[in-house]
Amino acid sequence: MADVTVVGQGIFLRGSIRGEGDVEIRGRIEGDIEVGGEVTIADGALVKADVTARRIVVRGAVAGNLTGEDGVRLEQGARVVGDLRGATIGVAEGALVRGTVQTGNAPAERGRARTAAARETKPAARAAEPRKPVPAPAAAAKGNGLPRRPAAIAQEERTGPPPPVVPALKKGARAALRKRSR
Amino acid sequence: MANTVIAQGITIEGELTSEEDVVIQGTLRGKLVSKDTVNVESGAIVEADIAASSLSVGGHITGNVTASDRVDLMPGGRLIGDVKASRLTIADGASFKGNVDMDV
Amino acid sequence: MARASSSTSHGGSAILGKGAHIRGRIAGEGDLRVEGGISGDVALKGDLFVSDGGEVTADIEAKSVVVEGTIEGDIAATDTVSIRASARVSGAIKGSSVSIEEGAAVQGSIDADFELPPELTGKAGR
Repeated sequence: MADVTVVGQGIFLRGSIRGEGDVEIRGRIEGDIEVGGEVTIADGALVKADVTARRIVVRGAVAGNLTGEDGVRLEQGARVVGDLRGATIGVAEGALVRGTVQTGNAPAERGRARTAAARETKPAARAAEPRKPVPAPAAAAKGNGLPRRPAAIAQEERTGPPPPVVPALKKGARAALRKRSR
Repeated sequence: MANTVIAQGITIEGELTSEEDVVIQGTLRGKLVSKDTVNVESGAIVEADIAASSLSVGGHITGNVTASDRVDLMPGGRLIGDVKASRLTIADGASFKGNVDMDV
Repeated sequence: MARASSSTSHGGSAILGKGAHIRGRIAGEGDLRVEGGISGDVALKGDLFVSDGGEVTADIEAKSVVVEGTIEGDIAATDTVSIRASARVSGAIKGSSVSIEEGAAVQGSIDADFELPPELTGKAGR
């Protein structure tokens, strides 16, 4: 797609943005963003939404999970409360984050990471599909209990790495997701 | 030029409130209230009520529109819904189905 | 499995060389550069540097932490945490400022102390 969608500073959207192409957000959004291109959240933007895109660059404020297939980058000035998922994740000095972080090629605890990711089945599963071909199919088949509370996960992380846990995608979640995402 | 552009390929669903000009080239479903102008370009699809200072219709709109100033239906533009505006133009080649109230 | 503890003098700097591995608690006043391996606990008043090839499986307390190698464990820094592109980090990370270079493999969490603008509180998903 040629043009970039720009949600200007004077805009307040309560709803969703979906489709193909790049999106630059300078205003305020409450809802959901899922696009095939790059999402840039500009300095001054206020985003209360989960964002799923090919790539995400943040300079503004976000309350929501960010899933960037190719990567997520938080620049100086970014303030994010939410989980970051991406093939690569960059957090510049001066960017503030509170949430879980998972890059595409994380060491050791793949299982635990997937459990945390499964709290947001939609963005995590979508992002995880291309990135983790091997564990994912076996995992979906097992289908164990899904959302783990953030507190439980944080606690787990504090006591050190547990043995690998079977990834916790609910049975049928991936299929349902595939159906949803056209 | 417009600060806000909804490009082709993008679909916005929900309530959009704007203090500035809006250009729609993609799809909008829901409701749009702009303090400034709204320009629905050729190829755009809007299923929403729109309120704006002025509205230009080059694409397809299904919904009621209210403009404090004017509404212009361009050639190729299509509006199915009621119009409330003090000025209205319907170009040759535009389609319109609805009621018009120019007593604002 | 001998308990080992090592301490450095004020402002001193210790290096754990490649091929050296310590299992136990490491506490120190100064800085520590890890090129080898540590399993256990690390509590430093100074800075911790884990070089590419260094492996630390431990919860870490330090002033600042710079990692180019592997850390498995929680990091609590009073100063900055810098995760370089070659790093692999797994654990909860806390520091006055946390930065991650693209390319790093990270799995865990970052906990920074700040407030979002009021329009965004009542956060989605948390």
